[in-house]
Amino acid sequence: MSAAALEHGQAVPRRTVWSRLSRHLTGWLFALPWLVIFLVFLAIPILASLALSFTGFGIANLRDWFSADFVGLDNYSKLLSDERFHKAARNTAIFVVVGVPLTLASGLVAALGLNQAIGRFQALFRVGYYLPVVTSIVAIAVIWRYLLNPDFGLVNAVLGLVGIDGPNWLGEKSTALASIIALGVWRNFGFDMVIFLAALQGINPVLYEAAKVDGATPWAMFRRVTLPLLRPTILFLAVITSVGYLQLFEEPFVMTGGGPLDSTLSVAMYVYEQGFRFLNLGYASAIAYALFIAIVVLTFIQFRVLRSDEYV
Amino acid sequence: MGTEGEKLGMLAKDFMRTNPDVKVKVTPIAWDVAHDKLITAVAGNKTPDVSQMGTTWMGEFANTGALDPVPDDIDTSQFFEGARDTAVVDGTTYGVPWYVETRVLYYRTDIAKKAGVTPPKTWDQLQAAAQALKEKGGAKYGISLSPNNWQEFLPFVWQNGGDVIKDNEMTFDSPEVVEALKYYQRFFKDGLTADSVPEGFDVTQGFVAGTHPMFFSGPWHMSLIEEQGGADLKGKWDIAPMPKKKTGTSFVGGSDLVVFNGSDNKAAAWAFVKYLLRPDVQRKWYATVSDLPAVQSAWEQGKLATDPHLQLFGEQLKDAKSPPPIPKWEQIASEVVNAELEKATVGGESAEQAAKNMQQKASSIGTE
Repeated sequence: MSAAALEHGQAVPRRTVWSRLSRHLTGWLFALPWLVIFLVFLAIPILASLALSFTGFGIANLRDWFSADFVGLDNYSKLLSDERFHKAARNTAIFVVVGVPLTLASGLVAALGLNQAIGRFQALFRVGYYLPVVTSIVAIAVIWRYLLNPDFGLVNAVLGLVGIDGPNWLGEKSTALASIIALGVWRNFGFDMVIFLAALQGINPVLYEAAKVDGATPWAMFRRVTLPLLRPTILFLAVITSVGYLQLFEEPFVMTGGGPLDSTLSVAMYVYEQGFRFLNLGYASAIAYALFIAIVVLTFIQFRVLRSDEYV
Repeated sequence: MGTEGEKLGMLAKDFMRTNPDVKVKVTPIAWDVAHDKLITAVAGNKTPDVSQMGTTWMGEFANTGALDPVPDDIDTSQFFEGARDTAVVDGTTYGVPWYVETRVLYYRTDIAKKAGVTPPKTWDQLQAAAQALKEKGGAKYGISLSPNNWQEFLPFVWQNGGDVIKDNEMTFDSPEVVEALKYYQRFFKDGLTADSVPEGFDVTQGFVAGTHPMFFSGPWHMSLIEEQGGADLKGKWDIAPMPKKKTGTSFVGGSDLVVFNGSDNKAAAWAFVKYLLRPDVQRKWYATVSDLPAVQSAWEQGKLATDPHLQLFGEQLKDAKSPPPIPKWEQIASEVVNAELEKATVGGESAEQAAKNMQQKASSIGTE
């Protein structure tokens, strides 16, 4: 082999590497603004909080960050015996288990109704149902706090008209969480409705015609045609809604402050309390990671259960 | 913070006129974010020279090691004792009280007359008065007490000769606390007060309407009642000192002034603090924002010395206490005292059990 051939043989890959690199570089340059923001404001804090969760970081360490004690898994083992955390976890679980199906069902029913409706009423109801989704949650919560007020609230006033002595909705242990769930469903089903509506309008009408020819009842058509075709939409909404609901915060924060007797305390609120009120930042980080793991597990399960395409 | 932050510039100007070599820059911040901002400032080593500080935050901030101890040439005996104690952490004074507030009993004189009650002076009379206002006075409730607010409950412990922390030891399970809990609990058991307070509730509305004819609160409620009650309510309400058991101790709050030790201008910072503590400046400050002076001698002249309502607050301030300035107080107050108080008042827990739980939970959080 001659020296020239050898040189030639090496030169080709070198040029390829360079051109590939420069192509990559252009890509990275375009991505850079987002990447920097992601690293500085998301990745680094996320990793830092993971590190924090293994320390006893508290207010005394504020000025010298590295003076915090490394406590290993102590924060996590403390979670196992922390009554308030258990309560918060249970409240959040109830909110998700009851709230997500209710939100999806309400969204689907509203979408089915709107899909049948015609003309300007459709637009009116679509806007009406969607309005709470885009309204500031704090404004909503403050208004609902008034509506549910036992002394001068509209809800109990209306109940009073039909002779029912309404409870102190947000002030009693038995009704506080239910009130928060109702508010959550009312506020969020508009989003699900819009997505369902789009999915319903995407179903080919030929399928319904064929079903009709076969003599299918409306219920059978819904059960055998509509639902299976909506499956991907249901999965998407179940995941999005669950992830949102697991992070329940604003509603109880503004409406009840977590009370009465912690009956509406959510995990996200507990993180906030431990971290920013009591400044137990190490412990708060551990709770946040426990919540993160719960979200990942739930999402995984939902994908497993809803993904299988047995109908289509 | 709040109104203080907006109006302090005026005093700063006066100070700069007499101290031309010092330049004071006032940065107003809202109360609801003040705590977080100061914490962030400490974490980032970007602290101001002087800051106003909520009295219940003192333990926490002293614990960060960011506060400068008060120099010897400031005489701390000029302040109300209860207010001065808010700034003493582990024997060192880290701040001075700037202005104060304390709680007294507000009551509706017209409903009291109808029910045949005079302003209650003792625990028993308070209970009887609440009963009478409800039954004979026709009010919906006898009194308005919070089922889960340590600021309303602790005065009863102090009035009973007890305390929740003594010499760095928790004393939540002492007989004085149990007895105070039992007394407090009875208002709820007998239906003399509402068993839940909605988030954002202001008692003024109920007081004006006559449904809540008695409550404990600070001086700010005087103007609120005048505003909302209007001419109709004029002469139909009054205030009275705290009822007595062993003492008639009340809660003292307000704000302290601190100097951060990261400051490059500590001497000038303390000079400005001293200026704010001058009796004439304290009076001027009262005239501007209605904050009650923490310096006792400021009360000897003007409206503060003649107005009967203000005088009553002045008297009550001489017998008023604050919670112990320990770093974890915020957590103990909220997770332990408020939570167990709520269980005892509306959750059906016995006073003994609540006190026992408070002791155990507070001890596990600790004083450090």
